[in-house]
Amino acid sequence: MREAYIAGVAMTDIGWHEEDPHDMGARVCAAALRDAGLTPSRVEGLISTPHGYMTGARKMITQRMAGYLGMECGLMLEIDSGGNSSSVAVHIARDRIRQGGINSCLVFAAQRETPPKEIRGDVVGHFHLIKDANSLYDSYQAAYGVISPLPFYAMAIQRYMHLYGITPEDIARVAVLLREHALKHPQAAYKEPLTLGEVLESKILTPPIHRHESSEMHDGAAALVVVSGELVKDEGRAVRIAAIREAHDATSFIPYRGEISRFPCVGRAARGALDESGYSIADVDVAEVYGAFAGMEPMMYEELGFFAPGEAPAAIEEGRTTHGGEVLINPSGGRLSLGHPAYVTPLLEFVEVVRQLRGEAGERQRLGASVGLVHTEQGFINGSIVAILDRLKGQDAGAR
Amino acid sequence: MDTRPYMQDRAAEEFFSRLERGSFQTTRCLACGETHYPPRIVCPACLGEDMEWVDLPREGTLVAFTQQSDAIRCRRPDVLGLVELEGIGNVITRIDAPFEELRIGIQVAFATWTSPDGVALHQFRPLE
Ligand SMILES: [Zn+2]
Repeated sequence: MREAYIAGVAMTDIGWHEEDPHDMGARVCAAALRDAGLTPSRVEGLISTPHGYMTGARKMITQRMAGYLGMECGLMLEIDSGGNSSSVAVHIARDRIRQGGINSCLVFAAQRETPPKEIRGDVVGHFHLIKDANSLYDSYQAAYGVISPLPFYAMAIQRYMHLYGITPEDIARVAVLLREHALKHPQAAYKEPLTLGEVLESKILTPPIHRHESSEMHDGAAALVVVSGELVKDEGRAVRIAAIREAHDATSFIPYRGEISRFPCVGRAARGALDESGYSIADVDVAEVYGAFAGMEPMMYEELGFFAPGEAPAAIEEGRTTHGGEVLINPSGGRLSLGHPAYVTPLLEFVEVVRQLRGEAGERQRLGASVGLVHTEQGFINGSIVAILDRLKGQDAGAR
Repeated sequence: MDTRPYMQDRAAEEFFSRLERGSFQTTRCLACGETHYPPRIVCPACLGEDMEWVDLPREGTLVAFTQQSDAIRCRRPDVLGLVELEGIGNVITRIDAPFEELRIGIQVAFATWTSPDGVALHQFRPLE
């Protein structure tokens, strides 16, 4: 079967933006195509996602972009699969290219949320958005007024800490480390250092989650150009999608059976992708992991197979997941400190791993990185996608 | 401002209207005998559509608990928790006790709760 490569990447700065999401999307689409050395006339597939969760709906986002940039496509989709949406898009792009139906696919996501401050300032005027948020959850969860997944994550983290004797300091340390990573990323939402004391003294939102341990909903956009080998213009910069695997559990938010601090879909996706790629987890040099809360990061590292259950917090403390460690996890700063526009987040993860494998990650470069992993999730980690990326054979392992 | 939750399926509507009358019940499939929680109008085990309503256990084990900061109801100081009913599974519910006094693993018992905005729900209370 044909291979599929990521030939172009682009992202905006992450933060709170005034710019219309269509315009953010147009800018990253153009930048990713320039990066790939392609023109809009060479784009054969276009896939996007909604512009946010609390926005009111704008339809036909993908079609509008095709008209705006002049792309005559053989595939056009708008995917809403929660936090996985834009990685589902990459999965479909890769499969369609491998099957030979198309030679190129532009994947983009652009998010601009209604600012929480604006909603809190006029709850009555925004109540339709609050009820929409409530309706994400089934009737038994929604009845208790739930409007975010925070209470579910809080209970999972509480159980994880209970089962393995994990301390509040262990969790807070993850937020500190991700902030250290983000300080090396010029496009990250957060620019100020963060101390362990500041995390532990920050307000408890939903116990045991502190404010600095919970990612905020940010705005931003990102795009990837996925192509077949014949459209790779610069072999030195193309990154192969060696494998990608999607796995879901039969749950929607809180599971009604079983241990709520375990997420079996993550391991199934990881093992499936690693098997398909021929690599083992120990071969992974750099990983971007979707942990929207500091307490979820160690659980995800364990489910992916980097560490045994309960052992990730000690590994993080020993420096095994940062620069100089055995695997560099979330060099971008992760969801907590790069920032988290949820529909865009999977693409931001791909952008970071591609930059690392190209040797273009600047101050946060892992030297010689040749195998990368991207993990994304949806809901309460009810479904996961894991992709394995590598460099073309014979590429120079050093930083450029 | 209508704060009532959307009832997104018929079995849920029935569950909460039974709860309003003090019953804590779920569905059992008449064809294969499988008990479901949450209740269903179709049986995931045999795909049958004929159900009876049966009582759920009224005592269980506290699996986890927290407090919501932003929520339509059941906000801090209210406690939101997950209670495991033996042979049934996890039930999301209000816990009728101060947060600081709770521990994972304690036994709790069913009670009804009417939220300040008038929604009839269930809660569980620590056993003496
Ligand atoms: Zn049945």
